[in-house]
Amino acid sequence: MNATIAAVTYRGMIGSRRIWLLVALPLIMVGLALLLRLTNQADEQLAVILMQRFAVGALLPLMGLIVGTGVIAREIEDGVIIYMLSKPIPRPVVAYTKLLVAVSLMIVFAAIPTFLAGYLMVGAESGVATGFFLGTAAGGIAYAAVFLLISVLTRYAVTIGVIYALIWEGLVGGIVPGARQFSIQQWTQSIADSVSSSPFFKADVPLGFAAVALIVVTLGAAIWSGQRLRSLSITGDD
Amino acid sequence: MHPEAAPDIRGVIHDIGYRRYDGPRLGRLHGFGTLFLHGLRGVFGLGRTAKAKVMPFLMVTIMLLPAVVAIAVMALLKEAPLPYQQLSVIMQPVLAIFLASQAPVLVALDQRFHVLPLYFSRPGSRMDYVLARYSAMAAALFLILALPLTVEFVGELLVDPPGPVHLGAYLSSMAGAVLLAITLGALGLAVAAATHRRGLGVAAVIAVYLVLTVMSGVLLGVFMATGNDDKAQWANLINPFHLVDAVRAWAFGHPPGDFAYPDGLAGGLIPLGAMLLVIAASLGLLAARYRKVGS
Repeated sequence: MNATIAAVTYRGMIGSRRIWLLVALPLIMVGLALLLRLTNQADEQLAVILMQRFAVGALLPLMGLIVGTGVIAREIEDGVIIYMLSKPIPRPVVAYTKLLVAVSLMIVFAAIPTFLAGYLMVGAESGVATGFFLGTAAGGIAYAAVFLLISVLTRYAVTIGVIYALIWEGLVGGIVPGARQFSIQQWTQSIADSVSSSPFFKADVPLGFAAVALIVVTLGAAIWSGQRLRSLSITGDD
Repeated sequence: MHPEAAPDIRGVIHDIGYRRYDGPRLGRLHGFGTLFLHGLRGVFGLGRTAKAKVMPFLMVTIMLLPAVVAIAVMALLKEAPLPYQQLSVIMQPVLAIFLASQAPVLVALDQRFHVLPLYFSRPGSRMDYVLARYSAMAAALFLILALPLTVEFVGELLVDPPGPVHLGAYLSSMAGAVLLAITLGALGLAVAAATHRRGLGVAAVIAVYLVLTVMSGVLLGVFMATGNDDKAQWANLINPFHLVDAVRAWAFGHPPGDFAYPDGLAGGLIPLGAMLLVIAASLGLLAARYRKVGS
C-alpha cells in the first residue's frame, strides 16, 4: 500500500464533481426511509423491500460503478496514470491501493447509508439493518474489485458495468433463475439473509456458495487487475 | 522597389496574393444541419471507431428481438401480436442504457477535446449547438424505437393474422415514441452535459434513471400494500418512461393490459404538464451549462 497514491486517489474522488453523485444517491435513500418512517408506514416488510430494491438493487451497483471505475478510469482516460506507473512502485501495489480506497468509499457511501436507512425504518428489529449492512459491505467490496478490473481492461468500463448490473442482474436474473447464481446482488442478499431473521426475506443463493463466490471474485479481480496494470497501454480510441 | 526613390524606407508590405473568401456562405441553418447529422451519425458510431459501433448496434439488435418474436408468434400460432404500445415500457432498461451510453458521445467529447470554441466562433449561437445536439439525441431515440415497431407492423401486414390490422395501435405507438424521444433525450442530454468525462456521464444518466425507477417501485409497493391504489398510480409516474407512456395512454386510449395510470382529465393534464416541465427544465439546464462551457 502506498499512502501518496491513496491520497491522490481520494483527492480525485472527493475533490471532483463526482462527489455530488456519491452524496446525493445515499441521501435520497435515507430521505425516503425517513419519509416512510415519519408517515408511519415503516414496517419490517417495507424495510426489506427498500433494502432489496433500493440499497441492493440500485445504490450498490451505482456506487460500485462510480467508485470502482472512478478510482482509476479517470487517470487512464486522461493519460496521467503513466506518471503514477513510472514511479518505482510495483504495479500491483498501485492497483491494490486504489482498490482499498474504493472499498473504503463503498463502506462510507453505500454500506453505512444502508444501515442508517434500515435502522430508521425498523431499528434493530430482526437484524434487518445489520444484515444488509454486512451484505452491502461484502457486495460493495466485490463490486469495487470487479469494476476496477473492467476499468483496467477496457475504456468502456462504465457501459459494460451498466449492462452487467441492469441487464444481467436485473432482466436476465429476473427471468432465468440460474443467472442468479452469478450475481453480486444475490450474493449480497445471501449474506444479509444469514444475519437477518426476518420472515419477509429469503435469499435465493445458499450462503456457502455466496460467501465463497464473493471471496473468489474479489481476490481474483484484485490480482488480475494488478497483473493487468503491468502491461497497460495508453492509447485513445475516442 | 527602387532604393534611390525612397532611401529611408525600412519596412515594406508585399502583396503575396492573400484573397478574401468570396465563395458561397452556407450560413447558420446549414451549420445546424451539419451538427445534427454529425451528432446522429455519432450516436450510432458511424464515422467513429469500430469499438464505438458495438454498443449502439447491440442495443438496436436487442430492441429488435421482441419484434422478431412477435412476428414468429403471429406466423406460427396465428395469434394477435405483442401490443405495440407496451414496447417502450417493456424495453425501458435497454432504452435507458442506450440513452446513458450515447448521450455523453454527443456532449461530453466536444467538451473534453476543446472543440466547442471552434463551433462557437462560426455563425450560429450556442443555443443552436444545444438544439442541434438535442435534435440528434431525440432522433436517435425515436429511430431505435420506431424501427422495431415498424418491423413488427410490416410483419403483421405480411403474415396477416386473423382479426383487424392494428394500424391505430401502431400509429399511436409511433406518436408515443416521439414523446419519449423528445422527453428522455432532453433529460439524458442535460445530465450528460454536466461533465466532460464520458464515463461519469454514463453513470450519472443511469443513476438518474435507476433512482427514479426504484423510488417509483418502492412507493408503488407501499401504496398498493396499504390499499391506496389511486396514490399508487401517481407513484407509478415517477418513472420517466411511465410518465411519458401515461401521456400517450391518455391521448390515444389505454390498450388492454396496459399499466395502471391515473384516469380522467387530471390523469392526462398533470403527466403532460410534468413532461413539458421536464423538457423545459432540461433545455434550461443545457442553456445555462453552455453559456459558460467552452469559452
